[in-house]
Amino acid sequence: MSETLLLLHARAAGREILLPVSDLREVVASTAVTPLPGGPPGIQGVVLHQGEFLPVLDWTAIQGCPARLEPTVAIAVLRPRLGLPLEGLTGTVAAPVEGWLDSVEGDPWGPILAGLCRIGDRDLHLLDPDRLLAMLHRLRKGR
Amino acid sequence: MEPSFDDVWAECEDLFAQAREQLTTLKTPQPAHVIQASVNALFRTTHTLKGMAGMLGFPRFSQAAHRMEDIFDLMRQGRLRSTDSLIETLESGIQALESGLAGLRRGQPEPDDYLHALRRRLGELEALARPPEGAVLDLTSLLDLPPDVLKALSEYERTRVTAVLLAGIPIHGIRVRLDLRTFDERLRALSEAAGAQGELISTLPLEAPEDQEELCFLLLIAAQVLEIQGLGALPGEGLEVLELADPERIPASLRSEPIALSAPAPATEAPQPSLPAGVASQDVEVLRLPAQRVEELEARLMAVAQVRDSASQVLRQLQGAGGDRPLVMMGEMETGLLEVQKSLLQMRMVKVESLFRRIEPMVKALSRDMGKPVRLSFQGGDLELERSLLGRLTDPFLHLVRNALDHGLEGSSERLAQGKAETGSLKISASQRGRNLRFDIRDDGRGFDLARIEARGIAMGLLKAGQAHSSEDLHRLTLEPGFSTQERASQISGRGVGMDVVRSEVEGMGGEIQISSELNRGSLVRLSLPLSRAVVGCLKVRCGHQDFGIPLSHVLRIQASPAGLTGGSRVEVLGEDLPMESLQACLGLPEPAGGQRLLVVLRQQGATVNASLEIALGVDEVVGRADLLLRSLPELAHAPGIMGGSLQEQGILWVLDPEAVMGLAMDSLMRRVAGV
Repeated sequence: MSETLLLLHARAAGREILLPVSDLREVVASTAVTPLPGGPPGIQGVVLHQGEFLPVLDWTAIQGCPARLEPTVAIAVLRPRLGLPLEGLTGTVAAPVEGWLDSVEGDPWGPILAGLCRIGDRDLHLLDPDRLLAMLHRLRKGR
Repeated sequence: MEPSFDDVWAECEDLFAQAREQLTTLKTPQPAHVIQASVNALFRTTHTLKGMAGMLGFPRFSQAAHRMEDIFDLMRQGRLRSTDSLIETLESGIQALESGLAGLRRGQPEPDDYLHALRRRLGELEALARPPEGAVLDLTSLLDLPPDVLKALSEYERTRVTAVLLAGIPIHGIRVRLDLRTFDERLRALSEAAGAQGELISTLPLEAPEDQEELCFLLLIAAQVLEIQGLGALPGEGLEVLELADPERIPASLRSEPIALSAPAPATEAPQPSLPAGVASQDVEVLRLPAQRVEELEARLMAVAQVRDSASQVLRQLQGAGGDRPLVMMGEMETGLLEVQKSLLQMRMVKVESLFRRIEPMVKALSRDMGKPVRLSFQGGDLELERSLLGRLTDPFLHLVRNALDHGLEGSSERLAQGKAETGSLKISASQRGRNLRFDIRDDGRGFDLARIEARGIAMGLLKAGQAHSSEDLHRLTLEPGFSTQERASQISGRGVGMDVVRSEVEGMGGEIQISSELNRGSLVRLSLPLSRAVVGCLKVRCGHQDFGIPLSHVLRIQASPAGLTGGSRVEVLGEDLPMESLQACLGLPEPAGGQRLLVVLRQQGATVNASLEIALGVDEVVGRADLLLRSLPELAHAPGIMGGSLQEQGILWVLDPEAVMGLAMDSLMRRVAGV
């Protein structure tokens, strides 16, 4: 019997994104991010989460991100302890069996996506946390 | 591993820790009753270990623990004389059991005999023990007590009476009447008070008058002097001190053959009210809790601290409404919270000394077995590390020390032939470097044979022939799985397994290992381990609109400049001409236009005056000094120059890594010189 994959439907960096709920620790209300002087590229600073520092992603380090971002309303805390600032939360959806597409060729977000998922009449970007972390490591190495 | 056994393993670890403490007590001159208490504790420890091993299904471990228990039993009966050699053998035995237990925990099969290496010495010890029987050795008849009371003494108590008398210590009796309703509590209190003055040999019930609701007891105490005031008797208890036996009454022929466990305490050395650590620990209740509970408590405390910060900010906005009192109260709360946080932190920490204590006996035993005299020294035992790291560090350390003795240090004749001191040197030091705890294991032996390592690396296909390999690469090769230059394994090390395990264990703790050596001059193995939490005394400074903490350990001086200075200037500090760099420039922040007038002079920790790096760091403001609860940054957020953060009223305060900041300052100064 196959298990249903649950996805979080949210908005970040001007895009509609999906995140596997299994990759999330929790979603928390947004708090002010403390900038880290000389911090690694791709990390805008940290917030305090459960008594520990949680690095928060800087979407602007990813190519194809709009120059001006909307205010953050929530932070999705990934299992490997990385916070993703979210501009909006839609809810959760069950991953459809069909309707999966490869990400569009030339999309600058391609390296951090697992693919596109058609929900209703929209193609949503399914974020791959592992690829996102790999990208952060690449950014740091290339510093 | 069965999850239900976790507690049992943890208890075994505690028992070994206690055993090491007791053995340490035995090694130093102590009053006889303290020695006796330690031996008793060791007897109980090995007895408990024996039972636990049986419960876990490890019969051979149980047998080995039983063997050790027998030796401690002989000691506690006074039938074995405590000598350096005996203590060393016992330490080796406890060490062998502990290593064996660690192996079992890792799933290794049981060896045939955990104490194989000690078998001969243990046998000799047992042969040396005096027989238990023999009227000459039973001096209980010297006690001024009725025969029916004497009959109540156990065999062990009789041997103790004999032993203490032969050691020249008088035996006193404390006769007391206790209320039936509270006698257990009072008896305990009296026993403790008496035990603090000497060795409590026995507590005997006496016949009480039938018409009173009281119980009578006689406590037998061995002590040079017994102070009645120190016993804390209550009115109506009728406490009476009796002189039961005087060692002067022992025949001279027996007195010349003492079998006491240690030399008796000099008359001037009255037992102190506060007992040595090894003894006191028996009376301290130890709580064992899952670390997760402490973590949850810390997280909750952090949440409270956040609320306190918000409340403090609101109060500042409302300042004046209730005078200064609310702000003072907030300040008190802040101090209290930091104290609680510190206490919580201390629960997780343990002194580095306890790691050293595990290493010392093994080095001594190896030195003796290998015939290589070693001068072992430790430094930095007062530093603290997280308890969880201690357990994981022991095996890697033991392996490194074994390697140093087996491969590094030469034998006496070889050393003399090379013009070295006959005795080899092994120095183990700990120091705090930024967010890391650094361990250096340094020997003055033959160093690594890099040519041989290179040849072996090529033969194993790990290196390419004909290519140049740096000294660093070759040293690092020894950390590769399966690498060994030994054709055959020695009994001590050189099996080609170990160094890679050391590396993976250290890296598993988020640490690093570095090796360096010089041929015939010696080797250095350096382990750097990150501390996740620490309390650090800091100088708080402000740059731009942000506060930073600079660990005081590196602050040499704070100095004001009459004019604003910009990075790249030179300043005179205590007669020295030092380079100056702005902290902002080090951290990639915009520098203030008018320069900076306040300078914090940093010096490398541990550096000598003649060979040290000193630099003046320009800051906008010096705020003051504070003890900060430091939390390390997760790897994803590592920033050069910052070793962690501390939650403060105004938000997160970054604590600088002084050594890294000095490096950043030098980089920045060089860029200025190069004009880039």
